Amino acid sequence: MHSVPVATACALYHRFYQSASLRVYEPYLVAMSAIYLAGKVEEQHLRTRDIINVCHRYFHVDSEPLELDSQFWELRDSVVQCELLVLRQLNFQVSIQHPHKYLLHYLLSLKALLNRHAWSRTPICETAWALLKDSYHGPLCVEHPPQHLAVAVLHLALRTYGVELPLGSVEWWQVFCEDITKSIIESIVFKLLQLYDMEAKCT
Amino acid sequence: MDRMRKIKRQLSLTLRGSNSGDKSLSETISPQDTAHSDSDAMSVRGSGSLRGAVRGSGSVRTGSSFSMHSLLQSYSSALRRPRSLGRSLSSYLNHTTRLEIVHEDVKMGSDGESDQASATSSDEVHSPVRVRLRNNPGRKISTEDINKRLSLPADIRLPDGYLEKFSINSPLFDKPLSRRLRRVSLSEIGFGKLETYVKLDKLGEGTYATVYKGRSKLTDNLVALKEIRLEHEEGAPCTAIREVSLLKDLKHANIVTLHDIIHTQKSLTLVFEYLDKDLKQYLDDCGNSIHMHNVKLFLFQLLRGLHYCHRRKVLHRDLKPQNLLINERGELKLADFGLARAKSIPTKTYSNEVVTLWYRPPDILLGSTDYSTQIDMWGVGCIFYEMSTGRPLFPGSTVEEELHFIFKLLGTPTEETWPGITSNEEFISYNYPRYRPDCLQNHTPRLDSEGVDLLSKLLQFEGKKRISAEEAMRHPYFHSLGERVITLPDTTSIFALQDIQLEKEPGIRTSSLSDSAVVSSGCGVVTE
Repeated sequence: MHSVPVATACALYHRFYQSASLRVYEPYLVAMSAIYLAGKVEEQHLRTRDIINVCHRYFHVDSEPLELDSQFWELRDSVVQCELLVLRQLNFQVSIQHPHKYLLHYLLSLKALLNRHAWSRTPICETAWALLKDSYHGPLCVEHPPQHLAVAVLHLALRTYGVELPLGSVEWWQVFCEDITKSIIESIVFKLLQLYDMEAKCT
Repeated sequence: MDRMRKIKRQLSLTLRGSNSGDKSLSETISPQDTAHSDSDAMSVRGSGSLRGAVRGSGSVRTGSSFSMHSLLQSYSSALRRPRSLGRSLSSYLNHTTRLEIVHEDVKMGSDGESDQASATSSDEVHSPVRVRLRNNPGRKISTEDINKRLSLPADIRLPDGYLEKFSINSPLFDKPLSRRLRRVSLSEIGFGKLETYVKLDKLGEGTYATVYKGRSKLTDNLVALKEIRLEHEEGAPCTAIREVSLLKDLKHANIVTLHDIIHTQKSLTLVFEYLDKDLKQYLDDCGNSIHMHNVKLFLFQLLRGLHYCHRRKVLHRDLKPQNLLINERGELKLADFGLARAKSIPTKTYSNEVVTLWYRPPDILLGSTDYSTQIDMWGVGCIFYEMSTGRPLFPGSTVEEELHFIFKLLGTPTEETWPGITSNEEFISYNYPRYRPDCLQNHTPRLDSEGVDLLSKLLQFEGKKRISAEEAMRHPYFHSLGERVITLPDTTSIFALQDIQLEKEPGIRTSSLSDSAVVSSGCGVVTE
């Protein structure tokens, strides 16, 4: 599965639970349907069977693969049914703008700005990219516009490695994105770090 | 009278206010959501930034599977669900029954385009700018009020008894309308219900959908009902999902309007505005010879609709006369966005097989997957030619034959006319004879020199050399339409301008194109 459908699936999932309750709808089922739907939206069609088998494997690492019996068919029907539910809940608004292209664009401009040594010494690109990927664990992707997310992860990556950018008349993020402020960046970074904390607690 | 007006203004203020309220509230709610799902995981924060960095680079190494896995894991542990097969399966099954209840009860109606607030809002949201309406129990609530309140079209007919319901117990009018209430109201009026629409004739059948002509009981207007069969195993077809998700955002005078979406167990029905015929039928009906002035009007409207799509980074990818609908006023609208999609990343390659062969550009025929808005412009050229001559430009039935037709007219490309073509393996393998470019003018006798110039700019081998929809609209060919057509607002038809009028088609046969045309041709039968 490519990274764009994965990101779309996460975004669909979070968007769904923005308006629906975790207690009412089974999160695993919604997650499976979100993956299925994302495959359709992003032109990488996935088979329900594969999704069910892979998900089953994740949840029950040690158990046998599912039998192709009536339970399996019922499970598949509920995935398909749930897909329609997700569609309706989201009002069919399933095309999603991802921050990745903005981040790529920003990284390219930064590379031109910094000297080559500083660039090659620190894995800014990789870190920012990974941060962005991890941000999909939480509902950040539906709460903030893609440009803001891209700027925020880049900011965090730069700060982590202590890379200073040459000071211009305006801050660098204002060059990339006009309507972002320091406080927006900080709130995104804060939420992102919370996600990592939450995961550390869980594992 | 004055008071009525005041109340209406307040109403519309409230509506607008509650929209913006939706947004701000959903933003304030979401952090709580996060907190809720991991109520005990919020304590350690000090060393966050360092940990973040370590984690971040950690997941670089393990790649995306790690991210996906940990996502699932974090949720599963947050909820502390037992991981036994039996339990989770039974909860899936439970869920199916619950699903059905939801379908019946909550009335999560698909209220089509009438619902502007997107899925990001929560239900019981009140306006931050609370406009207090005077409590006035004796006031009569009119149809007009309700139309205003629910932002419905003015010509709608509310079901009997709907108004009475409001006058008996109408707390609804005294407070701002929540999203759920609005949905319920819309559904009571008849949106999202199959009974609201009467099926008339069958118009056509595609691979996954059947199109019917229908009539809406709400407005008495004709509608087109596109009934999409839901495959039991596959769910909604992806073309339908894309079509709906795109059309919901596209509002333009030259793009077909999606009125409503009806969702039942077996099918998904899209309700579109009804237009009399497509360009193909129109061509047939006027003996394959459209009045040249009308050709210009149609082409301009096609470009106008396309420019709007391209501006919003949407490619149509399936332009052909069958997908261009025309009503009796002469308004042309783009339809069938099943193959279109939001263009997200310009560098991305798309799946190869998209446009109907006759209207497919040569770079795509030769295997290019790296295309952009120019993919649609070649098709515009082909349609332009077809409108002015009455026959398709390159009616090839295979890729090889299609390219053969193209090169026969435009000349076999060389390194000068198409840089890089001589290293294209598919091009080499076809081994076409060396044709010299023909003069377009000889093939299009009815087209003036400016028209030929525009046509040649559309029919460029290389995508990047093709004229864009926006540039094409400013081409001298259209100067006779005047300056103002370019600056019209998106949702205004070009026929709103006084000096723009459809010419009568001389060769028209029995058709309802315009009543006067039918009468003047001495034919008394008006077909519906």
